[in-house]
Amino acid sequence: MNAIEVDQLTKIYQGGRSKVEVTALDNFSLSVSKGEIFGLLGPNGAGKTTLIKTLLGIVFPTTGSATILGSDISNYKIKNRIGFLPENHRFPNYLTAEQTLKYFSQLGGNTTKNIDKRIDELLLLVRMSKWKKMKVSKYSKGMMQRLGLAQAMMNNPELIFLDEPTDGVDPIGRKEIRDILIDLKNNGTTIFLNSHLLSEVELISDRVAIMNSGKLLRVGSVEELTTSKEAYIIETTNSIDNDFVNAKYANADTSLENITVNLESSTKLSVNVKDNIELNIVIDSLRKNGINIKSISIQKNSLEELFVSLITDERGGTK
Amino acid sequence: MKNIYTLSLLTFREALSKKIFLFFFSVSTFVIVVFALLFVFISPESFGNGFISSTPTSFDNSIANGIKIFIVFPLYAGGLFISIFSVSSFIPSLLEKGNIDLILSKPVSRDQVILGKFFGGIAMVFVNIFYAIFFLWLLIGLKFSVWDPYFLLSTFTITLAFTSLYAVIILLGIITRSSMLPMVVSYLTFFIFSPILSSRDTLLTFVNNEFISGIFSILYYLVPQTSDLSTLNTDLAVGNYVSSIIPVFTSLAYIILIISSSIFIFRKKDY
Repeated sequence: MNAIEVDQLTKIYQGGRSKVEVTALDNFSLSVSKGEIFGLLGPNGAGKTTLIKTLLGIVFPTTGSATILGSDISNYKIKNRIGFLPENHRFPNYLTAEQTLKYFSQLGGNTTKNIDKRIDELLLLVRMSKWKKMKVSKYSKGMMQRLGLAQAMMNNPELIFLDEPTDGVDPIGRKEIRDILIDLKNNGTTIFLNSHLLSEVELISDRVAIMNSGKLLRVGSVEELTTSKEAYIIETTNSIDNDFVNAKYANADTSLENITVNLESSTKLSVNVKDNIELNIVIDSLRKNGINIKSISIQKNSLEELFVSLITDERGGTK
Repeated sequence: MKNIYTLSLLTFREALSKKIFLFFFSVSTFVIVVFALLFVFISPESFGNGFISSTPTSFDNSIANGIKIFIVFPLYAGGLFISIFSVSSFIPSLLEKGNIDLILSKPVSRDQVILGKFFGGIAMVFVNIFYAIFFLWLLIGLKFSVWDPYFLLSTFTITLAFTSLYAVIILLGIITRSSMLPMVVSYLTFFIFSPILSSRDTLLTFVNNEFISGIFSILYYLVPQTSDLSTLNTDLAVGNYVSSIIPVFTSLAYIILIISSSIFIFRKKDY
């Protein structure tokens, strides 16, 4: 059983007076396995927050269905096994950190007498013990995020949704939050992470999905997504110049017409091919021209490069 | 039930933190102190003979009743005025982005969220009204030896009148997310619409039109019957014969209908 199963989910917001409909989710399907950190990426307005809100019953789907922890999303009782940190959350500003955690823990169905102990543990974990008795109205953005994270973890949830958890947090704080998330994962918690900070998602996610305009564009492990099977880097011992590359590969040669070769440096070529046969054609061609090959490696793109490329293609524009 | 209790408690705490409760409590205390001073410093003779008697006489009763009217009517109007002001921000603050998301992400049904706010607001007003009524009842009892338990029932009639207006505030708050509009509508209802509709029989003697008469009758049941409850409240407080307790039942039915509608709308909304 997966932690999250989304099947053909569509959410259309009806426009108010403007009567303009906005499709926030468009036949969106996705699975998240138990115990993984799943990163959802997308530009602003891609539908990331709508997806989380739909899964949590804050927003109702127009069509489609979804389950979390094996239960239909319409069953609100399942939420006692779920934690959530919304983007730009607001805690009642008249409560202290301690009171906030107690209140949300009680709403989360926690009736145990160990609440106080758990509050102390979590405030220590998110480095907020010092401000336990301070009203949240006096907190900075970073402190609010830390408290929000503690709130999401309060009832030992099996699944945690985090919407922009490091928003407003300094680099040290971000590192601490990443470490906490990795610890949670190691303890078997599933984490669904919404963020537009690609580098952060790349660092901790087991799998990543990229969405835009309510549609799922790509999903897979960071390794799978950033590895381009058709692109290679060939390093040579001899120097090559542009004239050589243009003469050999820019002009139409029937056997090389699907191949793109670019000079990265005087001893480095990037090659885009369809398959291994074409790669070997390039190697043969180089060798025939007296160029010695030092190494061949699969070219890797950063997640950011992939993201930009996918979103740009989706928008039909230029980078 | 546990969730409703937790949410009610938070609503109560919200009132405390926003100094709403303190303001309400201060006004109630001020009224109690004013009457205590009046009873201490005004000479019994100013009320006439028989004031000092240790057992209640009909004369004591009539003075006590006069004072009760003097207390109950302003308390009803003033109490409701402050109450409406106090609770008008409860729903808009609940529905603020970032807050409602958190609450709805918990294992709490939407019905429980509304009922929690509803009962929390009622509890806040009930405590304050009871505090004022109880101590005024105590003062009157000590001064005139008139211990009329019906006077204490004012707590319930004032709270019931408040509840019917609060139900409207909740409904309009959910629909508009505004605190101003529900507050204005409640004040208009309390001070203008309800008194007019309550005296519709008298007014309609001047207008001999069945259509207008029908409209007035429909409106009478669409608007909280706070004026009728005010009459009932005064009658109870001074021990008059209560001709009808129908306003209690129609108000209860009205409250159930409006709160059910609020829950129905809240269940369907995206946040």
